[in-house]
Amino acid sequence: MSVETVVSEGDLAEMVEQVWVSYLDPEGVSPLLVTGDDGQATEVHSTVSITGSWHGHLVYACSLKAARRSAAAFLAMEEDEVSQEDISDVLGELANIVGGNVKAMLPAGCFLSLPTVVLAPDTASYYPAAERISGLYGLWDAEPVSISMWQSVKQQEATA
Amino acid sequence: MKILIADDSRVMRQIVTRTLRQAGFEGHDLVEAADGAEAVEKAEAEKPDLIISDWNMPELTGIDVLRKLRAAGNDVKFGFVTSECTEEMKTAAESAGSAFFIVKPFTAEQFDEVFSPILG
Repeated sequence: MSVETVVSEGDLAEMVEQVWVSYLDPEGVSPLLVTGDDGQATEVHSTVSITGSWHGHLVYACSLKAARRSAAAFLAMEEDEVSQEDISDVLGELANIVGGNVKAMLPAGCFLSLPTVVLAPDTASYYPAAERISGLYGLWDAEPVSISMWQSVKQQEATA
Repeated sequence: MKILIADDSRVMRQIVTRTLRQAGFEGHDLVEAADGAEAVEKAEAEKPDLIISDWNMPELTGIDVLRKLRAAGNDVKFGFVTSECTEEMKTAAESAGSAFFIVKPFTAEQFDEVFSPILG
């Protein structure tokens, strides 16, 4: 079963909007502007895995500057006060929130893993057994942010 | 009132604390637990009046914590603040005795609506 039929780019955009309204941009002055540029370079990657009736990963990726800004907004701190641990914790929570919302749209019987955060360029993050099936790519105050879904290749073959 | 906030995410514990404040619930005694096992320990040792718990936590999940407390005869008011929300989870939470189910991301308005009847 393809998750594209269950979780569309529009659904991802709606989830992201809720996150922005609640935590990252409560004043509504700097929304995520969707560009669709899936080639944008990112430096921080936060992943939650989903297993069960659907197998794959949800990846929240952004630049280090966007990650720092996210952590500052979440923790009500100044950007220059944010530590690497703060960035890691906040990015983990962002993937967890979006992943939890995605899980709610998938067929029953899925499990969500705890998040894994890597502070390294996208060339250091590989998902060898999975293929990207959808994604939302945009800019937040000129900094790249993306949310993408990767489905297990093995599951795709089994249902093909 | 004493409130136990159980979430493995330090960030989310801070956000829950801040959102309670933004929703006007100040002056309460807040206690934190960083996983399910610690939540059970603190629920017994600290005797909170309310437990706000994540669902997906290491050691014991939030629903395991609730079931464990109820099995031990602890009737503390307990509810979930979680990013995951499926019908099966809601049903499991309700039948285990959960008083509320808040889905992340949440706003101060939602907290006000849910916690006003509990915290006054």
